[in-house]
Amino acid sequence: MIGSDLAAKVLAEALKTGADLAEIYIEDVTSLRLGLDDSRIEQAIRGVDKGAGVRVFFGNLVTYAYTDRLTEEALLEAARAAAAAGKNSVTPKAIDLTERKSPLQFNIEKSFDLMSIEDKAKLLNDIDVKGRAYSPLIKQVAASYRERSRKVWIYNSDGVYAHDDRNFVEMSVSTIAERDGNLQSSFEGFGGQIGLELLDKNNPLQKIEEAAEAAVKMLDARPCPAGEMTVVLPNGWGGVLFHEACGHQMEADFITKGGSAYSGKVGEVVASPIISAVDDGTILGRRGSIRFDDEGTPSQRTVLIEKGVLKEYMWDLTEARRVGRDASTGNGRRQSFRHMPMPRMTNTFIDQGEHDPEEIIANTKKGIFIKSMSGGQADIAKGDFVFNGKEAYLIEDGKLTAPLKGATVAGNGPKVLMEIDMVGNDLALDPGIGMCGKGQSARVSVGQPTVRLPKVNVAGTSE
Amino acid sequence: MTDYLELAKSVVAKAATGNLEVEVIITENQSTSIRVSEGEVEQLSQSGSGGMGVRVIDGGKMGYAHTSDLSEESIDQTWKAAVDLCKVVTPDDYRKLPDPEPVPDEDLGIWDESLKDVSVEDKIQLALAMEKATLDYDERIVLTNRATYGDSIGYTYLANSKGFADYYGRTTCFSFLVAIARDEDGGMVNAVDLGASNFFKDLDAIAIGEKAAKKALSLLGGEPVPTQKGTVVLDHFVGAQILAVLSQALSSSSWQRSRSFLKGRMGEEVGSSMVTLMDNGRLKGGMASAPFDGEGVPTKATRLIDEGVLQNLMYDSYSAAKDGVVSTGNAQRPGHQGLPTLGASNFYMQEGTKSPEEIIKGVDKGLYVLTVMQTGGVDPVTGECSMSANGLWIENGELKQSVGGVTIATTLNELLQNISDVGNDLRQMPIFGTIGVPTLRVDNVTIGGVDA
Repeated sequence: MIGSDLAAKVLAEALKTGADLAEIYIEDVTSLRLGLDDSRIEQAIRGVDKGAGVRVFFGNLVTYAYTDRLTEEALLEAARAAAAAGKNSVTPKAIDLTERKSPLQFNIEKSFDLMSIEDKAKLLNDIDVKGRAYSPLIKQVAASYRERSRKVWIYNSDGVYAHDDRNFVEMSVSTIAERDGNLQSSFEGFGGQIGLELLDKNNPLQKIEEAAEAAVKMLDARPCPAGEMTVVLPNGWGGVLFHEACGHQMEADFITKGGSAYSGKVGEVVASPIISAVDDGTILGRRGSIRFDDEGTPSQRTVLIEKGVLKEYMWDLTEARRVGRDASTGNGRRQSFRHMPMPRMTNTFIDQGEHDPEEIIANTKKGIFIKSMSGGQADIAKGDFVFNGKEAYLIEDGKLTAPLKGATVAGNGPKVLMEIDMVGNDLALDPGIGMCGKGQSARVSVGQPTVRLPKVNVAGTSE
Repeated sequence: MTDYLELAKSVVAKAATGNLEVEVIITENQSTSIRVSEGEVEQLSQSGSGGMGVRVIDGGKMGYAHTSDLSEESIDQTWKAAVDLCKVVTPDDYRKLPDPEPVPDEDLGIWDESLKDVSVEDKIQLALAMEKATLDYDERIVLTNRATYGDSIGYTYLANSKGFADYYGRTTCFSFLVAIARDEDGGMVNAVDLGASNFFKDLDAIAIGEKAAKKALSLLGGEPVPTQKGTVVLDHFVGAQILAVLSQALSSSSWQRSRSFLKGRMGEEVGSSMVTLMDNGRLKGGMASAPFDGEGVPTKATRLIDEGVLQNLMYDSYSAAKDGVVSTGNAQRPGHQGLPTLGASNFYMQEGTKSPEEIIKGVDKGLYVLTVMQTGGVDPVTGECSMSANGLWIENGELKQSVGGVTIATTLNELLQNISDVGNDLRQMPIFGTIGVPTLRVDNVTIGGVDA
């Protein structure tokens, strides 16, 4: 983007006041969003967002300056601003920038322009018609199409030079069903680090039917019972529990300060022996996949938990340097050039187990099955989590019976991980629209097979 | 220095050919962010950025494009992209730029002229003092996380082809941290507190630090109580999360799209007589105050619920045209990258007369809720309301043991009806939008814990 010579010059400028390490991050993002609501294409938005950030390390102090102008003058100015915290005056050594190559082939099959913008808009209109045709009870349909191309370049004074092209397509559809003043909503979405081949793999018109069916079904839902009970979580999205309540606690920034339940626990049993968990940024087509992270470290598959034993945390450069570790695990990610990187998950999941999912339901005398969820939240220090069942069912004598509304499941992540007593053989990642918020937003995937929690607290309004 | 208002007007002039309506927004921001840990600066970021957004309406069809690159070439590509996008949009007769109205010249208390002269060192000292106040509060407070000071000096320039052209500046200063407490058994909890103001001098770092510490200590060792129906008293953080969802249900757009549990109940008593909800875009010193909204309409004060009776909704010019009323100035703008969207400005519940201590004194048995997690559990469409909760048990008007691992559930309908006390301690909580809320007492809530 700016050329290695200019990059070396900017890095040298950033090192002049005695820093240990300097880095340039350059980003060029283009995006398109089409949104349908109330039977109209209402949103048509194109965007360009580009800029650079210069980061400088002085021991444990990290300084940052960014600019939305990619000129030599602006980059040098950012370098000087970031270097201003340094008190020394040194002559930096020569920097040899050699491009790192990734073995990962993430090239997309169908580029975004293979479909005209008119056809993309027509697809949304077709979704609206299909959703409303499902039932007269469907009172509202919304749908969106998004594409985003994010190119990043990273250079640092240790000689790292890496480039990554990330392409995302994502679609979402939602409906509202209404009967006698009772409103129920539903949502389906899918996407990935992928081109338009996404639409060959997922039929949006089928997704809107599934969403409409779920909303209509939930009109008959009764209030969820409250209290402690057995909960079966679905494969795919169900992994949001691990992500929120355990995954964040394995991110190194929470670990190094001792603020996580998993601090200092590598080698210890932290989960039931039927649990293994992985963070893997190298999987083709998934939303959290990257060839290099936003610090230029190659992404990797990191086993976090193996058969119940804690193996590794997720690291970025800042935290790795803080504890004198050689390398990061390729988890240094940032929202944009306006942000400093921090340890973030990529595609994070509980690994394959041995039970058939039907067997798990059949073996549950009384409990609830949460078929789809609408997000989750966790308290990092304590590991408490909460998430909501969008579509949930009562389990009675090993069978799914009444649909339930307002099911909110709450518990403690590390505790639940020790208690999980059945893990399915149906590992899946979520459909690919996950956005994780940790002060900055990041595209991630979560996943798991069907799992059973023998006893957690469920909020509901029925006694 | 570029005159951005002139630039915005020149782009409007270039793009507004034929019958096209054109609006250009330019934002410009200087921001500082400082994070400290264990008495030292950990992160320091100081930068500026901005960009332009162009909205074009072609016979009721609206296109939008934005760029961070203000070169002439990029600006031309941007407005042309916005014009081109109109072709795929469904025409809508209500989609028009608002006619310009005079913007009242009034000091809204949103500009701290001296902020630009506050040294980085003084900002660092504020963050360090906040962290120290937390760590010194009690020996069980073992560390802090993300102890941050941040500020921004921002300008918004807006011009359109109907003749509107104006700008304003707003300064914002905020500070927050997470206090982490540990008890003898190694059990850890965390608690966040924050403060925000348009003026640097109004940030009380020590108070933020102490409040976070105090809350973390209250949450230590929390155990569930038996499942029961009872009274809850909601701290500001909790009330703000619920009010943020209520604000969505009071948006005219939610009504027009059947996305509000309150739809069709205008003029009805939807809450107890203690409930008065306001949205005021001209609140003096309000974090969301501005002379005009995201499409150039002067901001206003709107009484949404008056002593329990639903009186009004929030409107932007589009939803107002649909309902044949006037905009309440509620078009919000997420910087230059987004379309104006209907949302709350300074949304708050009018405070009552009792102190939080008096409210707690009046409760025989119940839960003082200090933190909740509720992602998706409070729904403006269905009115469902369930979340996990932590806090302190109240018995005979006194605060007792710490409670954790419980859930609270009700519906927003019932919650509004069951508000039986409103505190005199209104606080602006700029985390879930800009919500102002006093301590609230709500009766008849399901508290889900262990089997009774």
